Amino acid sequence: MAQSEQVGIIGKGIVIKGNLTGAGDLVIEGKVEGQIALKNHLTIESTGNVQADIQADELTINGEASGNIDASSKVAISASAKVAGDIKAPRVVIEDGAVFNGSIEMEVKLPEDV
Amino acid sequence: MANTVIGSSIVIDGEISGDEDLVVQGTVKGKISLKESLFVEGSGIVEADIETQNVEVAGRVTGNINASEKVELKSDCRVVGDIRAPRILIADGASFKGNVDMDAKGR
Repeated sequence: MAQSEQVGIIGKGIVIKGNLTGAGDLVIEGKVEGQIALKNHLTIESTGNVQADIQADELTINGEASGNIDASSKVAISASAKVAGDIKAPRVVIEDGAVFNGSIEMEVKLPEDV
Repeated sequence: MANTVIGSSIVIDGEISGDEDLVVQGTVKGKISLKESLFVEGSGIVEADIETQNVEVAGRVTGNINASEKVELKSDCRVVGDIRAPRILIADGASFKGNVDMDAKGR
């Protein structure tokens, strides 16, 4: 995959208000308010601050995020992250030290007799 | 300093502001206001009013451009809108429609 073309970076000094959609990977080091819908991997770096509902395939949070998260494969919340909102994803990882407030729905297949 | 890059598959609908360089390879609709330089690359499409220090356009821009220093329209770019800046360069092959205001006062 042509990484250099597919990766978008929102730098530290940048503030985006509005909707952000796309198919490539995205790294957020700055601030985003609004809505994010990505088909691939979204990374919120430790300097990043996202106040948005997020839709992505895979999401890695090292910074701050508030809003509802809907990931089609995985959400990883690292030790330095602060997250508030509801998460819906088949796989959710929360590291020791992370701050998280909200609910998690993993779409677990329940046994039929429950 | 890590530049901000809006990749070719990214679409932003809204407002972008900040104090660092911004490279647009994708699509931005709305408004861009920066304290530094904006680069609209060949694949970039901007439908927004732009307020920055420097602007370099190789892609498409629809909207008014207000730069405090310089606007550069590269060849093969397509720009529709009014440009206001003390220095404006238009390369051979560029396509531009709109007013130019170089505000020669104070020089």
